[in-house]
Amino acid sequence: MSDHLTRSLNQVRNELLAGLSDADRESYLFLVDWLRRTDVASHALQVGDTAPDFLLPDAHGRLHSSEHLRGEGPLVVSFYRGGWCPFCNAELRALQALKAEFDSLKANLVVLSPETRDLPRQLQRQLNLDLTMLADVDHGVAISYGVLFRVPDETKAHYAGQGYDFAHRHGSTEWMLPIPATFVIDQDGVVRGAFVEPDFTIRQEPSDILAELRQLPARSCQDRD
Amino acid sequence: MELHQVRYFLAVASTLNFTRAAEMCNVTQPALTKGVQKLEQELGGELIYRERQLTHLTDLGKAVLPMLERALASTEAVRRRARQFQQKEVAPLTIGLAPSISASLVLEPIAEIRKFVPGLHVELREEPPSRLVELLLEGEINVALVGDLDDTPERIDDWALFAERYVAVLAPSHELADRPVIAMEALREATILDRSYCDVAPKFHRLFFPDAPPHHNHRSCRDLHLQHLAAAGFGIVLAPEHMPRLPSLKALPIEGDPVWREVRLLAVQGRRYSPALDAFVKVARLHDWSLHTGSPLQTKHHSHLEATGVSA
Repeated sequence: MSDHLTRSLNQVRNELLAGLSDADRESYLFLVDWLRRTDVASHALQVGDTAPDFLLPDAHGRLHSSEHLRGEGPLVVSFYRGGWCPFCNAELRALQALKAEFDSLKANLVVLSPETRDLPRQLQRQLNLDLTMLADVDHGVAISYGVLFRVPDETKAHYAGQGYDFAHRHGSTEWMLPIPATFVIDQDGVVRGAFVEPDFTIRQEPSDILAELRQLPARSCQDRD
Repeated sequence: MELHQVRYFLAVASTLNFTRAAEMCNVTQPALTKGVQKLEQELGGELIYRERQLTHLTDLGKAVLPMLERALASTEAVRRRARQFQQKEVAPLTIGLAPSISASLVLEPIAEIRKFVPGLHVELREEPPSRLVELLLEGEINVALVGDLDDTPERIDDWALFAERYVAVLAPSHELADRPVIAMEALREATILDRSYCDVAPKFHRLFFPDAPPHHNHRSCRDLHLQHLAAAGFGIVLAPEHMPRLPSLKALPIEGDPVWREVRLLAVQGRRYSPALDAFVKVARLHDWSLHTGSPLQTKHHSHLEATGVSA
């Protein structure tokens, strides 16, 4: 049985937090405080909003349209920061572990990050994922969903010191990131669930996303017999 | 940040006038000013120096402008695509290719875009890299694929797509054709077919022929012409690995793979992206180019994936 079926994301988070170095912990606390002070999360789409449509390439350069994705059933859009973030990787593994349940609800699950080039492909191989990993090239979707922020200089210096080169990873000299967030969107394009947490180490439990999907009206979500 | 704040800032950046920017965005000037101020608070500094006659962008404003333009262009292109689909409009896309870039590179991206952009009309133009930059700025082409460039103007967006090595292409009857690799010394003695406007020629000359120029008897700006000459036994073509070859030719690695170049994608900053251009740029930046070269080359200098780190 997968580790992620027995441990919640919150448990994994606590283990990862316990393993942070002092410098990492300081950087993490600074960024969470900065995100709260600047109230970045207040821009995010809320339940009842119409989700803007997108057309994005996946890890293999194949295009996916949000209209098409939600034509088949409800759509789950989850923003992650990148393959360099252990909390994101934990979330991706947890989503992968329950992917069959998303499929059984006829829900399309897509995960988005600003990473380009072969980075999503590498991550997919490394974590053995068969999730639809979309590249939010140049952050257009993150802006339109209201979850994009410019990385503050202090955090940029810390990440650069760790060897993370966002200019290379994103193809843009300006360092921008999404707040990790998960949106459940019905077939009419209306947001039915929005999980946006400035503490980027806290992610929505996949089981909670599935519960939201099950609460959608029958048109959007039907359990297969 | 919010999309409307970005729109307000871009309107001010293009007009350098708050009144005209507010008219452009169809909002009151106080609303526009407030939106720009909120964006400034979030981005951590002023974007615009507000002087009555001399409103201009700050350094931060100049730094974030291209990225915000691209982000907005991307979201607007998706909306325009839906309208285009309803109105059955023609969607032209003109792609410039440097002479050392094969059209075979762009076939899969074009096929992918065609699924989502109805009415796609592609035109391919081959020109030397410096001319392609001019054509981009003149609006004659939408996007270009080039090899190494000496320098690109500030207004050009430039993304490295992949790196590839150069190989020696020659006829099976050539005296060096039976070797597993071609040594530099052997290459110095051989006749090299000269590619006009070759972006990597200076690298080759520095490496192989520092003291004397190579033996060049024949030249062309077209790879196919060079291949025909090579097939007829007139010499060796030094070619990028992705370049499709005549069936009568073989490619051999050069000892130590000494010559590499990056294939780059160029587009003009601040231009309104058509749905076709937006899709092409996005697909090109995610495409698996190693399929064309047989080598996992894309992140040659960034091969470590930091996915196992514990940084926050």
